[in-house]
Amino acid sequence: MFKLSLEFIFCMEPKPGDVVEVETGTEIISGILMPRPEILASDIIVIKLENGYNIGIAKENIQQMRFKEPYQQKKERKEISPPNPNLETVSLLSFGGTISSKVDYRTGGTYADYTAEDFVAMMPELKEIANIHPKKIAALMSEDMEPTDWQLMAKHVVEELNKKEIKGVVVTQGTDTLHFSTAALSFFLKDLHKPVIFTAAQRSIDRGSSDAFMNLVCAINAAAKSDIAEVMTCMHGTTDDDYCLLIRGTKVRKMHTSRRDAFRPINELPFGKIWMNGTIEIINNNYRKRSDGKTTLDVAFEKKTALVYIYPGMDPEIIDFYAAKNYKGIILAATALGHVPTVKGTFSLIPYIERARKKNIVLAITSQTLYGKVHPFVYTNLRKLSITHDVVFLEDMLPETAYIKLGWILGKETDPVKIRTLLLTNIAGELNKRLDDKSFLY
Amino acid sequence: MEIDYKSLGFKAGLEIHQQLAGKKLFCHCSTLNSDQKQDVTFERALRAVAGEQGDIDIAARHEMEKSKRYRYVGDSQDTCLIEYDETPPEPMNHDALETGIIVALLLNASIVDEIQVMRKTVVDGSNVSGFQRTALIARNGFVETSLGKVAIPTICLEEEACQKLDDTEGILTYKLDRLGIPLLEIATDASLNNPEHAKETASIIGMVLRSLPGIKRGLGTIRQDVNVSISQGARTEIKGFQDLRSIPKIIDFEIQRQLDEIKKGRKAHKEVRKAEPDFTTSFLRPLPGAARLYPETDVLPVTVNKKQIDDKRKNLPKLLTERISDIEKKYHLHAELARELVEHEHFDKLVTKFAHIEPAIIAHTLIEVPKEIKARFKLDPTILSYHDFEETLSYLEKKKISKETIIDILIKKIRKEKINLEEYKAVSEEDLEVAIKVLIAQKPDLSAGAYMGLLMEKYRGKVDGKKIMEMVRKYVK
Repeated sequence: MFKLSLEFIFCMEPKPGDVVEVETGTEIISGILMPRPEILASDIIVIKLENGYNIGIAKENIQQMRFKEPYQQKKERKEISPPNPNLETVSLLSFGGTISSKVDYRTGGTYADYTAEDFVAMMPELKEIANIHPKKIAALMSEDMEPTDWQLMAKHVVEELNKKEIKGVVVTQGTDTLHFSTAALSFFLKDLHKPVIFTAAQRSIDRGSSDAFMNLVCAINAAAKSDIAEVMTCMHGTTDDDYCLLIRGTKVRKMHTSRRDAFRPINELPFGKIWMNGTIEIINNNYRKRSDGKTTLDVAFEKKTALVYIYPGMDPEIIDFYAAKNYKGIILAATALGHVPTVKGTFSLIPYIERARKKNIVLAITSQTLYGKVHPFVYTNLRKLSITHDVVFLEDMLPETAYIKLGWILGKETDPVKIRTLLLTNIAGELNKRLDDKSFLY
Repeated sequence: MEIDYKSLGFKAGLEIHQQLAGKKLFCHCSTLNSDQKQDVTFERALRAVAGEQGDIDIAARHEMEKSKRYRYVGDSQDTCLIEYDETPPEPMNHDALETGIIVALLLNASIVDEIQVMRKTVVDGSNVSGFQRTALIARNGFVETSLGKVAIPTICLEEEACQKLDDTEGILTYKLDRLGIPLLEIATDASLNNPEHAKETASIIGMVLRSLPGIKRGLGTIRQDVNVSISQGARTEIKGFQDLRSIPKIIDFEIQRQLDEIKKGRKAHKEVRKAEPDFTTSFLRPLPGAARLYPETDVLPVTVNKKQIDDKRKNLPKLLTERISDIEKKYHLHAELARELVEHEHFDKLVTKFAHIEPAIIAHTLIEVPKEIKARFKLDPTILSYHDFEETLSYLEKKKISKETIIDILIKKIRKEKINLEEYKAVSEEDLEVAIKVLIAQKPDLSAGAYMGLLMEKYRGKVDGKKIMEMVRKYVK
């Protein structure tokens, strides 16, 4: 290592960030040598010209590249201001995602680098809403998160929640699997007594139009001021920078790949709307109120839980695959009211379901329509599944929420009756007895 | 007052912005910029954010401090989620890039080996995303002017911004339809010698652009910005010239403004100013710096194929100026008419269609006749369509009318009157001869000119005047 770094100092091979002069056959171009994403062709170097533009120069056209000045790294100043005694205190935990993203020169894409501390530094107005305890826990893109990350997340959130001075916790992470995290924490946090607000961004925070700014302002407000002691999301309600929706963690889903108002409540109205000035309009008062209790952890999770998407022509052997790997439970995202292919020989799931049930694997049905309830009796095939094969029909529960809930139950229960009972018991608002007409496509 | 530009340390450079036709630069919406309906509306806020180098650009900060809200309205047929900053951009429009490359080659520039799309921070709200996507596609070009070569250091292909509609009560309203139209930005260096030279250079670059088929035409599709400075002043960028002819006057006014500031002992600031209709300028924002550019991570860089560039270089389209002299020579037209014809969309088509009509007559019909209609009859000839000209010329080709009556037909077209070809029926030479003999018998001893007058009254448009005179002369000496 020592030898390597010495070489580095003495050999003036330009590094990304250095000012260089590139001599081609026709001219001398000076500028900053930019990092080249690894996945792009390596026969090009990229130079940032004085006017700010980057251009790629083919290496075959370069006669010489000379080092001129070393890279000057910007020193970022982070000011620590004394807390304001007139404001409530909120914890802000960052886990990465688009909200933390800036350019990644390894891939040319964006990666999660900004932390909770950076948010506060970038948005001085956050400190006018509440005293903020920022903390970076992880820098993950949400598609890379695993059940252990949700457990880690729950542990940190509970630690903050049980601090006397903390009024609420804001968690930031990537949007793609945000609804998995909120569902997980909805079950992992027992006797929740303060708001736990998840927020994120669909446009990275390094651009002026990022939705992160309004989302963070609303989330900090909600954590400091709302009386809703639930795990919930706080994201744009519309495409306007107007208000955010507070949506229950087990009833929220990302319904668009990229819009800022992608997060919608499914089968239930949102708790309410929140504006940047902290105004909250309650729409659905079916929530747990803020209290003086203590939140505890219940984070056991059975990793051998699967979520399978049902479709015409699917190979039912996928059930055997999971059975062979000793999976304990499978959620089926079935068609509409809860159907799976049952008749035609090769594609029928019935023999596979039978075998899995004999191995005591829990099978439960949700709907890929997302909106509405599944029903165990409307059609013969549904009855066959629910009565003959004891597949559990999970009413209006979302497939992702059901996957989390089943994993959580299987983490501590082995008794089939108890598992079935727990699946159908409303624990974190995941099941609704009645469906409000206005909750469809809200 | 005569200004001595040299001793003032006058420096000026141009930025020409030309819209391209076809699809938008990073989405599949068309560049219609229509005004059909405004069924999309939303409101946003923007913040200044740090650029790639970690600095917040001063121009961006200036806008942020105004803490405005922005309302966007648009027609859903001309815009999509990409303009709303609700979904990532598509790859760069290949046709637009091709047009850009051809312009760059016509301007003697070298195309960069790999084109990198950048985000240029713009937080006046004119770009919904808070930045304008822009790429430097070519460098080191030049144009020849009467005062020598003017260098064109950079040619960029970028997105057009929204159009500002209204600015009231802290809310700026923008129209979305224009956002994302491909825009070529051609920048000269600051070597322009004087305001007239700036105007000349702008008009040469404009001519080069109009030589291509892929560019948009009409009001607002080309804009000139001028950068001006004098020794003791500061660089000012003046935006929004509508007319090339106003360039010299506005530059002179700006120099005077800077001289006045210097006289009052004020320090001039680098800033962007807007050209006003009265030739003065007004402050828009501070001049932005390099900190405003950072990479557009959603779009892959575009590698330029060397061979394709060489092929394009060998097959460059003819410049308008060359085409004008071609038309002049080929059809024996005078230069002024050729200049007006070269950009006339119907000329080539009509010349091909009516091979038996002299091109000079077609040229006259397209250029001179409409002018006469406007001047003499106070009618608007711009409402005449290709079809109107085609129909009129087809009557001429079939000898149903004479070339003198083309104007009558076109006037009827404008007035939407019925055309009765019987009125224009040509008179045969035999009939004419009989008519002349009868007239002379009825009114003997008149002069040739007098007979001519009487006959013309009766046969205008039906017989060529020359023909009548020829025949009259046979009988009257």
